[in-house]
Amino acid sequence: MKTLEELRSYYINILWPELRVLEEERKKSLNKIIISALIIIPLSAFLTYVLTHPFPIIFGVLGVIGANWLFTREYVSNFKTGIIEKIVTCVDDNLKYSKSSYIPQSTFASGKIFKQRIDRYRGDDHVQGTLGQTEVEFSEIHAQYVTRDSKGNRHYHTIFKGLFFVADFNKEFKGTTIVLPDVAEKMFGGLGAMFQSWNKGRGQLVKLEDPEFEKMFVVYGEDQIEPRYILSTSLMRRITDFKKKTKRQIHLSFIGSHIFIAISYRRDLFEPRIFRTLLSFVPIQQYFEDLQLAVGIVEDLNLNTRIWSKQ
Amino acid sequence: MMPGIIIAAVLVLIPVMLYNSLVGKKNQVTNVFASIDTLLKKRYDLIPNLISTVKTYMEHERGTLTEITELRAKATSGQLSDDDKVDLDNKISKALGGIMIAVENYPDLKANQNFLQLQGSLNEIEEQISAARRAYNASVTDYNNAVEMFPTNIMASVMSYKLKKVFEIVAAERKNVDVKGLFSNK
Repeated sequence: MKTLEELRSYYINILWPELRVLEEERKKSLNKIIISALIIIPLSAFLTYVLTHPFPIIFGVLGVIGANWLFTREYVSNFKTGIIEKIVTCVDDNLKYSKSSYIPQSTFASGKIFKQRIDRYRGDDHVQGTLGQTEVEFSEIHAQYVTRDSKGNRHYHTIFKGLFFVADFNKEFKGTTIVLPDVAEKMFGGLGAMFQSWNKGRGQLVKLEDPEFEKMFVVYGEDQIEPRYILSTSLMRRITDFKKKTKRQIHLSFIGSHIFIAISYRRDLFEPRIFRTLLSFVPIQQYFEDLQLAVGIVEDLNLNTRIWSKQ
Repeated sequence: MMPGIIIAAVLVLIPVMLYNSLVGKKNQVTNVFASIDTLLKKRYDLIPNLISTVKTYMEHERGTLTEITELRAKATSGQLSDDDKVDLDNKISKALGGIMIAVENYPDLKANQNFLQLQGSLNEIEEQISAARRAYNASVTDYNNAVEMFPTNIMASVMSYKLKKVFEIVAAERKNVDVKGLFSNK
């Protein structure tokens, strides 16, 4: 695990030359977008005015969005191979980065965290590697389901958007244990706990001893013992600390000797911003910290402790 | 007429529900205790292997090794009350813990693949036993709450259900590790 100081020197020595080249590219792309907007918008506004029809301006806006995508596509791709990949190696050189691949939908679904039907599944920024004795992979994922209104229009709703993390767990186990954010108990107290015990689709409700953990999460398992075997008192503590550190909604599951963690984000991860200068340390630090949060899970949850029969 | 039937039905249903929930909770406790028992057996099965592996290396720990063998023999002989089982289990845990610490003095043993594997399995079972104990305590608490809380307490006293004891950590285990004491020997 690298410190911020190490990142700073890495930034100055290795990333800086690359960033300067990319900054030029960013300015060029930005100029192209501005120029195309300056041509398209007045023209379509004029046409709308002359024809008294809203179509030209609608097409104009779509055209600007299209131009934005077209002119930044290459820049984004170069940025990812040039900068993000280097930051990944800086965080840990056992990790491999691939900008366009992502955790397959089958793996995402096998985590059994989200029960809705997935209609649209996208992702990018896949990171994979072995940290100590623990194999990990994670990527950005956006899973959605679709509904249709009375007019037949499609509406997409987010099931999950954020970072999806899968790692080899250090203990062997057979069943399924699911740890979800506790919404019902937070809102309704004891009554909420009663509703949770009726949620049979998830298996048995497992009430754990750690009051802070119980307030944040609700646990379902196939029996009363295995979830406690997985969620030892120390792991519960570590998960609560991790949740406090991220300040985000997290879902976990333990299946087939693997741990799945879904960390929700509103913003896009590892994407460059076209309207801001690249030559600043702040966004680089942000990418670094987002990565380190995921990579740090191995240490935060103590996954490298192999004192059980599983080596 | 109709309201009378409904009231009568409710009056019958309520005791049935209370009764069933109490029986369910009691059985949950028995069920979890049975799984502790299974896990303890699994651990007893490992002990002969462990002893035969470490015996050749650990000359100074002969006393503890014989003690463990004797305790195991007693534990597997059967016909023990639940309290005796718990008591024996605590003694064995303590003795095994002692062995695992003593291993530090035998570098050859620490490098033995067979021993490392056994140690892993033993750690695993210890962790499973501790999980099962926590599950037991949770189900006992659930049961005790039902026995003491209204309205199930009325039914419980009719059924003469008594409070059950939770697993307690033995005094020796509860003591904090004396770090100073550990280093003063060296």
